[in-house]
Amino acid sequence: MAERPRVYRAEGIVLRRRNIGEADSIFTVFSDEIGKFEGIAKGVRKARSHMRGHLEPLTHSRMLLARGRSLDVFTQAETVQSFRGLRDDLDRTAAGLACAELVDRFTAIHVEQPGLFALLSAVLEAIAAGAPLHLVRFFELHLLTMTGYELHLDGCALCGARLPEAETLLSADAGGLVCLACRGQAGGGRILSVRGVKVVRYARTATPGQFAALTISSGLAHELEAAMRDLVRHFLEREPHMGRYIDDLARLPAAHPSENGDEAVQ
Amino acid sequence: MAEGGGPPEPIARLIEAFHRLPGVGPKSAQRLAYHVLRVPEQEAAALATAILDVKHRIILCATCLNITETDPCGYCSDSRRDASLICVVEQALDILSIERTGAFKGRYHVLHGILNPMEGIGPDDIRVRELLTRVQVGGVAEIIMATNPSLEGEATSMYISRLIGPLGVRVTRLARGLPSGADLEYTDDLTLARALEGRQAV
Repeated sequence: MAERPRVYRAEGIVLRRRNIGEADSIFTVFSDEIGKFEGIAKGVRKARSHMRGHLEPLTHSRMLLARGRSLDVFTQAETVQSFRGLRDDLDRTAAGLACAELVDRFTAIHVEQPGLFALLSAVLEAIAAGAPLHLVRFFELHLLTMTGYELHLDGCALCGARLPEAETLLSADAGGLVCLACRGQAGGGRILSVRGVKVVRYARTATPGQFAALTISSGLAHELEAAMRDLVRHFLEREPHMGRYIDDLARLPAAHPSENGDEAVQ
Repeated sequence: MAEGGGPPEPIARLIEAFHRLPGVGPKSAQRLAYHVLRVPEQEAAALATAILDVKHRIILCATCLNITETDPCGYCSDSRRDASLICVVEQALDILSIERTGAFKGRYHVLHGILNPMEGIGPDDIRVRELLTRVQVGGVAEIIMATNPSLEGEATSMYISRLIGPLGVRVTRLARGLPSGADLEYTDDLTLARALEGRQAV
């Protein structure tokens, strides 16, 4: 049997960083080829580390790793895309991190997840370029589908009956929309408005660009956010950390133009 | 020798105590414990006293939350320092780095952490409210954010800017770009782009 090479290449988006020791960090990366993987970068927190900026969370990088006994070791890294627009705005940073956290929580180490890397990359790129943040709902819906939690949206998830154009219950327990007659057996959920149902259905077939182009009122955005958070919490069996943080941000005063601090100090 | 072939109980306890320190593995803990066993009693007593003194005599400054022996701390009680200028740092150690530059004569605020929402560390887990209260009291003209130029550090700066900006206080942050001795070949695009934006006349 051929021996595995001691050094290998990978390309992926950094999801998460955990600092250990004086200057080392463990990074969780999601790649198209090998799914999620972890590695340690030694001395990466030192100012003169060559890899430091290339392994920041929410960076798409090419990496070289050496196989280690417990953790593989990053030996080189080079940025492919830094999604700069994500870093210059508090809400966009949070949206990007929310997507990264969901990928981290819904995937297992070294399990390929076809299509998910392209989805994450496309959504981060769009959000960095200024797309409305309701694009995160598109991401959540497709992530659920790709990881085995596809929602039943065409008819009642319990009896299969055709759904009238009306407010409809979206139930995580039932795995989709539920007709009026079956509501009692659905085990709770959240009522979606007619427009909410249409937007969720549209998300299945739309591209990220098409979904981002939708005009969504703040009321509908909140409705969809609450519904998707219910679903995510149900399937994960816990509240993602980013949910609490996004609530914290919502309580802040509105953003002002100089938030990213790039205004020169005279 | 203790029962079962392990070290005597006091040494085992010391090994365990060293092992709990950050970055100290089981072998290092053993080496440190056996080193303590060999040193003169005075040296061991000095180590024990130093550890206890840190716990008994060090407090947080009620104003800036820096670690100090007196409240207010030396920086907050020094009338020569500009009280209208507050440099916000992640941890008390960062103050030493800034002081070494000799370039800052304002006061400090220690956050005792940084926003790291992916790890569940939000605004309520760091000392942001105390900073807000300090600004609300008045007399502050500028907040200088000296958090690390990382995603988490930037998020913390932007959070504080959004929290405090409406109070009419200027919020700035340290310039971002290339460190001394850096090699352009290895610099990431984002740092280089920011260095270009912040270029200065030679």
